[in-house]
Amino acid sequence: MRIGMPHMGNLYIPFKALFQRLGVDFVIPPVNNQHTLSLGVKYSPEGLCIPFKLTLGNLIEAAELGADTLLVPGGSGICRLGYYVTIQEQILRDLGYNGEIISVGFSQHKLSGLLKTIKHLSNNAPWPKIISAFRFGLAKLNAMDRIERIVQKVRPVEEVKGTANQLFTKAINAIDKANDYAPLKKVQVDYINQLNQVTKDDIQPLIVGVVGEFYVLLEPFSNLDVESELGKLGVEVRRTTFISEWTKFTLFLNPLGVNEKKRIHKAALPYLKRDIGGDGWESVGEKVLHAKEYDGLIHLAPFTCMPEIVAQNIMPSTKEDIPVLTILCDEQIAKPGLSTRLEAFVDLLERKRRAHNN
Amino acid sequence: MEAYLGIDVGSVTTKLAVLDKNDKLVTHIYLLTQGKPIEMVQQGLKQIKQQLPKDVNLRSVATTGSARYLAGVIVGADLVKNEITSHAVAALQYNPEAQTIIEIGGQDSKIIIVRDGIVTDFGMNTVCAAGTGSFLDHQALRLNMTIEEFAKRALDSDTPVRIAGRCTVFAESDMIHKQQMGHRTEDILYGLCQALVRNYLNNVGLGKEIKPPIVFQGGVAFNQAIVKALQEELNTEIIVPLHHEVMGAIGAALLAHERIADNNNGSKFKGFGVSEVKYHTSSFICKACPNQCEIAQISLNGQVLARWGGRCDIWERDPSSQKL
Repeated sequence: MRIGMPHMGNLYIPFKALFQRLGVDFVIPPVNNQHTLSLGVKYSPEGLCIPFKLTLGNLIEAAELGADTLLVPGGSGICRLGYYVTIQEQILRDLGYNGEIISVGFSQHKLSGLLKTIKHLSNNAPWPKIISAFRFGLAKLNAMDRIERIVQKVRPVEEVKGTANQLFTKAINAIDKANDYAPLKKVQVDYINQLNQVTKDDIQPLIVGVVGEFYVLLEPFSNLDVESELGKLGVEVRRTTFISEWTKFTLFLNPLGVNEKKRIHKAALPYLKRDIGGDGWESVGEKVLHAKEYDGLIHLAPFTCMPEIVAQNIMPSTKEDIPVLTILCDEQIAKPGLSTRLEAFVDLLERKRRAHNN
Repeated sequence: MEAYLGIDVGSVTTKLAVLDKNDKLVTHIYLLTQGKPIEMVQQGLKQIKQQLPKDVNLRSVATTGSARYLAGVIVGADLVKNEITSHAVAALQYNPEAQTIIEIGGQDSKIIIVRDGIVTDFGMNTVCAAGTGSFLDHQALRLNMTIEEFAKRALDSDTPVRIAGRCTVFAESDMIHKQQMGHRTEDILYGLCQALVRNYLNNVGLGKEIKPPIVFQGGVAFNQAIVKALQEELNTEIIVPLHHEVMGAIGAALLAHERIADNNNGSKFKGFGVSEVKYHTSSFICKACPNQCEIAQISLNGQVLARWGGRCDIWERDPSSQKL
């Protein structure tokens, strides 16, 4: 059995660690690039969203590399994501793929479902071995996110632009190579130290929250790496959504009745009373919740994403008032247009702050 | 004489403006870019030099517009600024009370919302040029008349024809249909103006609170028929500043002056001599990863001055040191 799955940020690293420990053959398709996107666009219905197109591209590339078991994100009641498995399977079959397709419905099965899937994939490995491999994967996930949080803080203030990003790339590679807890710990401490020692300018960066749909938030290729662009413009990015946080709550704490999103939903209530699928409710809630603490908000949405379109149209009416720039992500998005808007948005925030201080 | 230069290189036109130390407009130049941004910047510099006194001392230079980085490298700009900020700054200089700024250029159109003299929101056309000057240019070409004649004749319309303006191509089919039905050319022309205004307000202006005073600038503000259509659609007075077509360049010059106040390190301006230099541009496909980015580069005497166009910044970091 050779397993392949779509990309989302660096998520392949914890999965690689997990499958390595279980002795399962795991193939990693090329990280998202123009070719992946072209493949996805070519074989997808045009009106579908960029997460669908990119993940389809990944699956095709994984199959080309010999994967005979594809893990496809699915589940129901979220948004169109619920139909991904069905449509992507159809497309892959039409393209001549004969292997197995397994729906990984994170939101539905929660922890037990995921573990059962892993047991099946590992050819019925003993439970202790599965749990141990799963824990190690989680440890890598947590290490990556811990470092990324610091990278977000260093980007706007680093003296030499690009330093934090270079360290981040190196850190991710080192985490990937770490084969046990001790080296992993060392990598983490090492890179956190290096990031802390980067020479920094003495400036008070603007704070911009990045909210919106889960996939486009976490896959830099789909949003033209908007966080790095903002960093270059001297803006500190705050993001609530991290895969490690999501995993912690969805798999472990939500079943115990702890819901981190309650706060966000409560904040959204005066403007939106219910879940509208995807992350639309959270986008509105985050604006309300963080209006005082952030200077502005970047709202990322896949083009044609209904939950985020609803959120986009509700946002201007909240009385908690901060500037919002909505960026629609699809295969048409281009860097010059994005840069112009980001630069203008940052100017707007900068001038607003200056006027406020005077 | 102490002066500040702003250069706005857009898709269709190139504008230069010089301000004195009191931010008063000394002189300005308006040229067609014609797809040759480097040559036009050089030509603009040459022309503007002739209009300036001999003792002129350019203390700071800023570039803006879609070719702002390219222009910045050529002239040695102290500041490279996006066109949204430049337009807002210029509009507020002449009309401090403005609450809405409409700017319609050759291939883009913007709306800028201002409250208490501070920009609070903006919008810009995304995927389509149907609400921009190029739309009108294209239709004028089809009707075999100049854009100036287009504007003049459109004002003679008394029963404008409703034309679908969502898409330039479909607008054309609709226009041909109306011609075949026997409608007057004047009525079709004004119908096109109304279509542009509707398209602009429905796309760029969507969800924005458009409050007066409204300032209208950009090349399309030359077109009195569009001004009239905007006035009718918004049911309020539209202010067109005297130098509406060079407001981007004026804004850049204002920002260049503002920069001096913050940081007076002398100017990086390379002098008017750059109008004589021969720049070389080329491009290549980067092979560092599978993204196949098209990297453009500009060089002078074999030395690369700048590179851009990649998804990442490996070619931008230090252009002179990297080999292909």
